[in-house]
Amino acid sequence: MGTIVEGKGLSKSFGGLTAVKKIDFYLEEGEIVGLIGPNGAGKTTLFNLVSGIFHPDEGKLFLNGRDITELRPFEICRLGIGRTFQIVRPFLKMSCLENVMVGIIGRNDRNRGRAEIGREAEDLLKFVGLDGFEGTIAGNLTLIQKKRLEMARALATEPRAILLDEVLAGLNPSEILQALALIETIRSKLKMTIFWIEHVMGAIMKASDRIIVLDQGEKIKEGKPEEIVSDPRVIGAYLGETDA
Amino acid sequence: MSEFLMYLTNGIVMGVIHAISAIGVSLIVGIMKVVNFAHGELYIFAGYFSYHLSISLGVPPLLAMPLSVFFIFLVGIGMERTLIRPTYGDEMYSLIITFVLSIVLQNAALLIFGPYPNKPPNLISGATNIFGLYHYGNQRLLSFFISIGILVFIFYLIKKTWFGKSIRAVSQDRGMASLVGVDHYRVNMLSFGLGAALAGTAGVVIAPIFPVTPTGSSAISLTAFVVVVLGGMGSLKGCVVGGLILGMMENLGAAYISTMYRQIFGFIILILVLVFRPWGLFGQKTQ
Repeated sequence: MGTIVEGKGLSKSFGGLTAVKKIDFYLEEGEIVGLIGPNGAGKTTLFNLVSGIFHPDEGKLFLNGRDITELRPFEICRLGIGRTFQIVRPFLKMSCLENVMVGIIGRNDRNRGRAEIGREAEDLLKFVGLDGFEGTIAGNLTLIQKKRLEMARALATEPRAILLDEVLAGLNPSEILQALALIETIRSKLKMTIFWIEHVMGAIMKASDRIIVLDQGEKIKEGKPEEIVSDPRVIGAYLGETDA
Repeated sequence: MSEFLMYLTNGIVMGVIHAISAIGVSLIVGIMKVVNFAHGELYIFAGYFSYHLSISLGVPPLLAMPLSVFFIFLVGIGMERTLIRPTYGDEMYSLIITFVLSIVLQNAALLIFGPYPNKPPNLISGATNIFGLYHYGNQRLLSFFISIGILVFIFYLIKKTWFGKSIRAVSQDRGMASLVGVDHYRVNMLSFGLGAALAGTAGVVIAPIFPVTPTGSSAISLTAFVVVVLGGMGSLKGCVVGGLILGMMENLGAAYISTMYRQIFGFIILILVLVFRPWGLFGQKTQ
């Protein structure tokens, strides 16, 4: 066990708005870490910094001790950080199989045969429960299927750590259970580190080893789920000011 | 009747060449959101290269053609690296740059090659009797088959290969493609080179039939734009169908109405499409 991803003093502003203020965080290998906070707390911005969509104004990011602060998204992806989005973004005009294949191509691993890659993509689709949909155009899938596809595509890049942005949003209770089972399998079978944003509190509290709470761009609390639920600052952030 | 069939054949031959040229524009628009106004100049340059390689340097014409296309491919890559890449994120700049470049290249062509039309040697001579109905020039038939071969190659490249999958992923969602590890800078560079090479291909294929002149380049760019708009932005199938429709309209129109108006037919189509079906035949309606 060691630290896989680490952020030190990360700040990012958009115009006059500071979305993320001096945040330190780390992810241990094999850990599930939850990221929560009210709307506009800076959760997605933090994910965007880690995946290289934005570069921080201040602070440094490390992956296995290597400085990745200024790398481009595809370089960060190839080094082992995968990502899904709150609003799903599969390649809508391509088939499910092709979507996953793009993730495999992205690894830039040239020593593999075409047939082998096709099989790997099929296996990944089966893994997320999309077997039988290989030829289906991604635009025709239902929301949960698109989320599964996006998960398969992120897994295809062979990440060491995966960032999941509200994978449960918009799903009904039985779909939430299916998605949670999938997340658990990803951790137990693939031994990946999972960093996830979630608004479904019951789920994130139950499934995470550790929780980081953001409010207005700052980290206000970090700890085990049971410490988080009873913390007055966290409750205040969600329910409004408690102290005058 | 046989006359009509010959005009129609002419239209189809021109149509596939229009299609190749238009796919060059469409790829660059679809992937990079850059409109390459210098498209026609690349076409003209390729025509002149193939002329000078074969006439002035004595390279066999069949070798001069791919060499010229490869050279234009390199020019395209150079253009992307030096002029287009710094403009990413602001489409207006790339629009102005390629527009200026088209003027610069057109005048460079006038300076280097002179104002006279040039025509590389024919690869083949004579004519073939088509089904006993009419005679058709062998050079045109050869150009037609080369073009078909290139269209098949392009479809295979885009639909089946790894590079094609990366291209489609980038054109659908550039940011997401990057997040799953696709190097979109490299994809952009190669697609621009490919788009340029397609302009060049159309140029070398047509030059033995219709000689190239430096001042003919704007008409070539405009024809390609008409085909892209007619077929629908970003649709390869649209480019082929659009190219064929335009090719046939031009040739039948020139034959039965007046050759004076050959260029006009394209613009009539363009206006009709923009009024009645602005997303083109195969394009997608967007809000």
